[in-house]
Amino acid sequence: MAISEKEIKTLARLARLDFSEEETAKFVPEFEEIIEFANSINSQVQGDTSSIREVTTRIAQLDELRADEVQESLPSEKVTSNVHSDNGYFAVRRVVK
Amino acid sequence: MKNVISSLSAKLRSGELTAAQLTELYIQAVQKVNPVINAYVHTTFEEARKDAEYADKLIKEGKATPLTGIPFTLKDNIATDGLLTTCCSKILEGFRPYYDATVWKKLREQGAVLLGKTNMDEFAMGSTSETSVYGAPLNPRDTSRVTGGSSGGVAAAVCANIAAYGLGSDTGGSIRQPASFCGIVGFKPTYGAVSRYGLIAYGSSLDQIGPMTQSVSDAATVYDAIRGVDEHDQTSAPTPDGQTKLTGDVRGLKIGIAREFFEGINPEIKSAIDHMAEEYAKAGAEIVQVSIPALKVALPVYYIIACAEASSNLGRYDGIRYGYRAANYTGVDDMITRTRTEGFGKEVKKRIMLGTYVLSSGYFDAYYKKACLIRKTVESQLAECFDRCDVLFAPTAPVTAFPLGYSGGNALETYLSDVCTVPVNIAGLPAVSLPCGTDAKGLPIGFQIIGSKFDDAKVLDVAYFVEKHNLCDLEEVKGGVSL
Repeated sequence: MAISEKEIKTLARLARLDFSEEETAKFVPEFEEIIEFANSINSQVQGDTSSIREVTTRIAQLDELRADEVQESLPSEKVTSNVHSDNGYFAVRRVVK
Repeated sequence: MKNVISSLSAKLRSGELTAAQLTELYIQAVQKVNPVINAYVHTTFEEARKDAEYADKLIKEGKATPLTGIPFTLKDNIATDGLLTTCCSKILEGFRPYYDATVWKKLREQGAVLLGKTNMDEFAMGSTSETSVYGAPLNPRDTSRVTGGSSGGVAAAVCANIAAYGLGSDTGGSIRQPASFCGIVGFKPTYGAVSRYGLIAYGSSLDQIGPMTQSVSDAATVYDAIRGVDEHDQTSAPTPDGQTKLTGDVRGLKIGIAREFFEGINPEIKSAIDHMAEEYAKAGAEIVQVSIPALKVALPVYYIIACAEASSNLGRYDGIRYGYRAANYTGVDDMITRTRTEGFGKEVKKRIMLGTYVLSSGYFDAYYKKACLIRKTVESQLAECFDRCDVLFAPTAPVTAFPLGYSGGNALETYLSDVCTVPVNIAGLPAVSLPCGTDAKGLPIGFQIIGSKFDDAKVLDVAYFVEKHNLCDLEEVKGGVSL
């Protein structure tokens, strides 16, 4: 299945990734090979699947909820110890002017 | 097979050795062997010495469990409070979690001694551990070959006796395949039997933590210590009370052999497994031929689902919530894009892109939804097998350990090497890989015993037959701790 460089660029934008022209050119055949491989599932399920709503869930017991009691949460100074932070806040460059 | 845990535990309890002394022996062995095999990427020796002190206190007070004072390792994607956990990725450079994974919490409370974090494919995406930002670990049985992956560092450390045991994670075979390549035991429990809280997510509906050990008995001991419901993991489920009993009695056992598992398998591997099945039959087990047609498409289904989940799970690495952030950028969007572009390796980007593709508008119905439907077919066909047999025998991998660098030019072929392990994750089943011989090059061959959901104890008991009758004893790798 042919994938264009334009499609790769659109996907990269959705995934918040950037590929150089050279990387994109290299990536196209590799990606096509894998998509071709993924296409082999079409021999198993034919036709339109758009009317099927439910897909899958792994949650075992939705009926077992814990008691609604206040529990200690993670201390904010610990949570922000790994990040660019300022006074316990996440620090990013100004967004709103 | 050597029961490392029970023999060390006996020495600790008898007072022949203290946990502190044992820990020093392991630290020296890591310092000597690790520069050659690159199994550990972060060592935690100071913490290990403190853990050992606590273990000696527990032993003195008569509160020891079988894992008290035993030095071990965790794969680098299992969260350890205050200790580096990087998934062997640049994007998590310097990351120190602020809580413990439930498995580590359970072990720590029993006085287990953590020696460090071990090497892996970046974000567990790979079958050779070569996508690690720290470089590949080497197979201790042949250092020109890969350990397998993605839990390659744990496999190498256990194989070389520089950890008594380790915990890995298995999304599509990442515990079992490296166990097979390095000639050790790797157990992937039923999905939900062991809490995933604190395991850095790859494919959440497939991921499972499990033990990697020198013997089946050791695997059962570790499994018993880490399993059970956890309020922090809604997919966790109750497991039977009491210890897993190992008898190795296989009389009347029905072993299913599905021919689909053996298509395209190296003949040496097939004959090693056939030979093992004959041993079981001689001891009173019955061999049943079964068929699982959907296995043919299990691999593409796996890659679609795993990559879809990964593209979503890895959305959180945005340069804001974790350590690494690109140095130069123009705005927030640019910061996120540059951080991810610089922080993720090639294989991770490829899988995020594939996941984004199969989830994107226009392709969701064609790929992701179809994959989920076939997943159900795989699950039900496997479940039907277990109406006719107790366990399934299968190869762990179609090949033995690749030479280093081989997978670089053979991406799809490397993906195909997961063909025997992924069906187990798709269906959430328990499976153990254990050695069953060597090929002509002397490389270990692994075989899998697969059980039905929550039949973990049976899977281990059936595997124990090999250990009990010494049916496969590989040569011990020299250089590590040998007591």
